Amino acid sequence: MVEKKEIEHLADLVKVNLSEPEKYIKQVEQILNYFDRLDKVEFQSDETLGIQITTEDLRDDVHIPYEDSLIEHLKKDQNNFIRAPKMV
Amino acid sequence: MNLGISATEFTSQVSDGAISVEEFVAKTLDRIEKVDGNIRAFITVDSQNALGKARVIDKKIKSKEKIGICFGMPISIKDNICTAGLKTTCASKMLESFVAPYDATVISKLKSEDAIIIGKVNLDEFAMGSTTEFSHFGPTRNPWNIEYVPGGSSGGSGASVAALECLAALGSDTGGSVRSPASFCSVVGLKPTYGLISRYGLVSYANSIEQVGPMAKTVEDVAFLLNIISGHDAHDNTTAKNTRIDYVKDLKSGISGKKIGIISQMTGDGVDKEVECATNGAISKLQDLGAQCVPVSIDAVEHSVAAYYTIAAAEASSNLSRYDNLRYGFDFGIEGYEFKAFISKARSNFGPEVIRRMLLGAFVLSAGYYGKYYLKAQKVRTMIKAQLDEAFKNVDYLISPTMPILPFKIGEKIDDPLKLYLTDINTVTANLSGIPAISIPFAMSRSGLPIGIQLFANSFKEKELLQAAHALQETTKLPGIAI
Repeated sequence: MVEKKEIEHLADLVKVNLSEPEKYIKQVEQILNYFDRLDKVEFQSDETLGIQITTEDLRDDVHIPYEDSLIEHLKKDQNNFIRAPKMV
Repeated sequence: MNLGISATEFTSQVSDGAISVEEFVAKTLDRIEKVDGNIRAFITVDSQNALGKARVIDKKIKSKEKIGICFGMPISIKDNICTAGLKTTCASKMLESFVAPYDATVISKLKSEDAIIIGKVNLDEFAMGSTTEFSHFGPTRNPWNIEYVPGGSSGGSGASVAALECLAALGSDTGGSVRSPASFCSVVGLKPTYGLISRYGLVSYANSIEQVGPMAKTVEDVAFLLNIISGHDAHDNTTAKNTRIDYVKDLKSGISGKKIGIISQMTGDGVDKEVECATNGAISKLQDLGAQCVPVSIDAVEHSVAAYYTIAAAEASSNLSRYDNLRYGFDFGIEGYEFKAFISKARSNFGPEVIRRMLLGAFVLSAGYYGKYYLKAQKVRTMIKAQLDEAFKNVDYLISPTMPILPFKIGEKIDDPLKLYLTDINTVTANLSGIPAISIPFAMSRSGLPIGIQLFANSFKEKELLQAAHALQETTKLPGIAI
């Protein structure tokens, strides 16, 4: 059972104000019930797929100054800073 | 002038001097003006720029200057692929005013071959959906019957090609988002092998499974586009090296002597009768061409939808945490808000499907549930890959219907997310395993709705996959959209 409290906790984790948490309860529960089948699969190996990238393939860790075009379309900027609400 | 020509026919007509680029682009813009009020494929139409570019290309042709192989072909781009100077909204209120400062690699490649970006097209918000109904700008409609969904999430891409509002389109495919609209709109759509095409500039939803994919009227056109947009990119570490292949050359090699596996789990229960009939029709046509078709069981497919949505939701909840409406987004003042309160309030403007997936993603990754869902989903993914590798030891291709059902009415399934998720049963396998898959238009239902057939090949076997797709395409003559 998924409860309202749980949905509100998840909403808090993903930082979204839910106006109607009730709307999501039944749907999320139904989908999770469907996901439950994953827990019943019998696996022959413990392996999981991954993408391997060697460190030589990574770009050099050097500072590249940004271009003005990157910040041209930013909103709320003042002298190249972004205005944000107060953190209390 | 006929807007119904293929992209490759366009390039030869322009290079022969039979048509001018400006004339064709102007006619395409007229067409958009005339039909898009009903279809609603476009979010942004870049008329002025498109016409300006067309004139420049015509001039170059006249003065015999060197010209890119697209010859001014008008292409529509899914609105989650960044285009410098042109809005990239992801069909979300959270990015409704976002203008990317750079071109995605696929866009720079198209531009360097003189393609014209005619506009940005609709999708489910952040590509999350399979009907294009979950767009902040409203649903796109199926050009074959505007009461029906065009498939999704690249519904704007599929509909714009089918409705002759462009010659080709780019979509992105995370769980079937290129192939579903290709099937529902009667166009060709390819989900390439993971790593074949750069994702640099594709707005991330589920990085480990998504790929950009070309959509067009014919297999030739898709091969032509793939030649341009594929290849290693220093900006995307997951792109594979040494993958430059000419996909157009030898496209007509046929499939005589090849072996095709019919995936039992995708062709049995739950498949619409007319879709099943079309699939059997395709199989017998392929046999007539000298291919051998045998049943193949990939039983991990039964867990694929659960594994796919677990992984996609987990990656989505992490990717979407960056949208705070501070750097770009809609107009919403910060005065009087505390930091977290502001962000949570701004983020409540995501649409319902995005919120649903973020909640699911947060759940499957949370302490106590990680092992039960996410880890198991990753193991299913490995299992699917292993079973496919085994299958490809015996067969060259796999076949299934692209979608198990016919296009359905707008609004019909919108309140039942699980039902919508289950329509992805035939497409998600290619994303989880990374292998390429293509949807080819094959038949029309009695009610005049398109049915597509899906072919799969092993990783980086696009050349062979396109050859088989071409062979299948040649066995059927389908109607075009009435102009």
